[in-house]
Amino acid sequence: MSGLSVGMLLFLVSVGMSLIFGVTRIVNLAHGSFYMVGAYLMVTLVEVLPDRPWAFWLALLLAPLGVAALGGVIEIGLLRLIYRRDPLMQLILTFGLILVIGTLVLLAWGPDNKSVSRPEALAGSVRVFGQPFPSYYLLVLGLAPLVAVALWLVFYRTRFGMLIRAATVDREMLGALGVNVSALYTQVFMFGSWLAGFGGALAAPTVAVALGMDSDVLTTAFVVVVIGGLGSFAGSFISALLVGLLQSFGILIFPAISIVLLFAIMAVVLIVRPWGLLGRPEE
Amino acid sequence: MRPAGWLGLVVLALAVAPLALPPFFLQLLTEIAIVGLFATAFNLLMGFGGMVSFGHAAYFALGAYAPALLVKRAGVPLLLALPAAPVVAGAGALLFGFFIVRLSHTYFAMLSLAFAQIVFTVIFKWKALTGGDDGLLDVWPPPLLKSPAAYYYFTLAVVGVSVLALRAIVDSPFGYALRSVRENPRRARFIGIDVRRHQLVAFVISGAFSGLAGGLFAFYNGSVFPDFAYFTKSFEPLVVALLGGVQSFFGPLAGAFGFKILEWLVSRQWPVYWPLFLGTIVIVVIVLLPYGFVGLVGGRPWRTRPTTRG
Repeated sequence: MSGLSVGMLLFLVSVGMSLIFGVTRIVNLAHGSFYMVGAYLMVTLVEVLPDRPWAFWLALLLAPLGVAALGGVIEIGLLRLIYRRDPLMQLILTFGLILVIGTLVLLAWGPDNKSVSRPEALAGSVRVFGQPFPSYYLLVLGLAPLVAVALWLVFYRTRFGMLIRAATVDREMLGALGVNVSALYTQVFMFGSWLAGFGGALAAPTVAVALGMDSDVLTTAFVVVVIGGLGSFAGSFISALLVGLLQSFGILIFPAISIVLLFAIMAVVLIVRPWGLLGRPEE
Repeated sequence: MRPAGWLGLVVLALAVAPLALPPFFLQLLTEIAIVGLFATAFNLLMGFGGMVSFGHAAYFALGAYAPALLVKRAGVPLLLALPAAPVVAGAGALLFGFFIVRLSHTYFAMLSLAFAQIVFTVIFKWKALTGGDDGLLDVWPPPLLKSPAAYYYFTLAVVGVSVLALRAIVDSPFGYALRSVRENPRRARFIGIDVRRHQLVAFVISGAFSGLAGGLFAFYNGSVFPDFAYFTKSFEPLVVALLGGVQSFFGPLAGAFGFKILEWLVSRQWPVYWPLFLGTIVIVVIVLLPYGFVGLVGGRPWRTRPTTRG
């Protein structure tokens, strides 16, 4: 069960990463940093807002928006300058962002671990199949699929979603048809950042909010995205659940090699199907 | 002055450095030489082969752990243990590279990163052999090489010979074939070059010399840690080569010099700010100076990516 909720959180982060790659062709290594900023913003907002039952929910709404704003600034200020460059240069630039954001978070929030208390209504635990299970995880289990459904609706039932899908297939043609591709990139990047921030904010009460969480989540989300297929929405969902479960069970059954197993699976997928389980081969 | 003249001047300056500099700076220079070798080996792939590895820390770490384990667990003396560094790292590069060179561009980078994470995890978890998180301590060179000046000369000699060897490889027919693979793999294949084999050989050579740098660093540092294989370490040669300029053979060496001096200056004053500083430099270099700092002085523009896929 907790494996499922870990998988759900992973899904939020990796689908954002996958979405950004699908449209802008940038593998955003700073995506884990966005997740971390989301969690830290949650810490601050919960502290700052008045101690009322609704404060937690307001913070959960505001923190991801803050991350989306950060994403927007980065996209307009930096990424826009290098879309035409070598993809590897873009990769290195986002790596530079990891370092910068990591240090800024350290300076803003200090080196100590933080924690966010769960909202009162969800502080206890419930019994599922006779096992005690923290009720907050139920929220995660409930919210993430809701987001998945909402994403599906956005992708397949709105104009924005149609443009995103069109952009993943042929960006130049989309631009030639009169769509403002540059604005679309910004929106998609902000949307992807929002998803990472939402994942971080939602995860904050379940983990110690600490400085290393950016690289931890990055490596796992990276594996998820690669296994599922870069740019594939359904692929991210399936492989996030798979990886979440594998991590939870792997630690129980063979703790020493669970991470090796994860990367070994990723390596096998890359060798056999470099474009991932549900992705498309590069043109 | 001709390039050869400059080179002679640099070698002379490095040779007399121990007479003029206090031990601290000799250690800094030793570190620069090691990072320079690491970045030069890395750049054989990036600059001349057009392959960007995101997992070179794996070979650095294999090269650091192999001789450290021999010294620590089997009592082998340094001079006999050090050759294990390039051998083991080269073997690792052969094993992983066999799969990695089958992919291209972004996927190449990602698979190399995945293998490096596997190496990191194995080192981290295999406590009985590697000491896990605690690393291996007290891996010092023999008394003869223990003083900063002695180890400095030793490192300089090993790095010097290695760089000359790499230079010879770059200038050999193999080196030119490798460039043609970088520029246009399909045309290279048409004229009879076995593209994958050339890429794999370059990968193994690069891995082996990265391992040698790792081995030198192990004895310089006196200890080895799993961090050597962590993905942030993989970015070190990349950043160094990028700073120096990937299109020139000596760019990475110059980059190592600038990088280490800068790191020392910044971390001495504000250790916390160093990653911020480094990240900012990386971003600025990518956005404003696509050919690195050496490119400012004048280097030929060089396409980082073949424009034709076919």
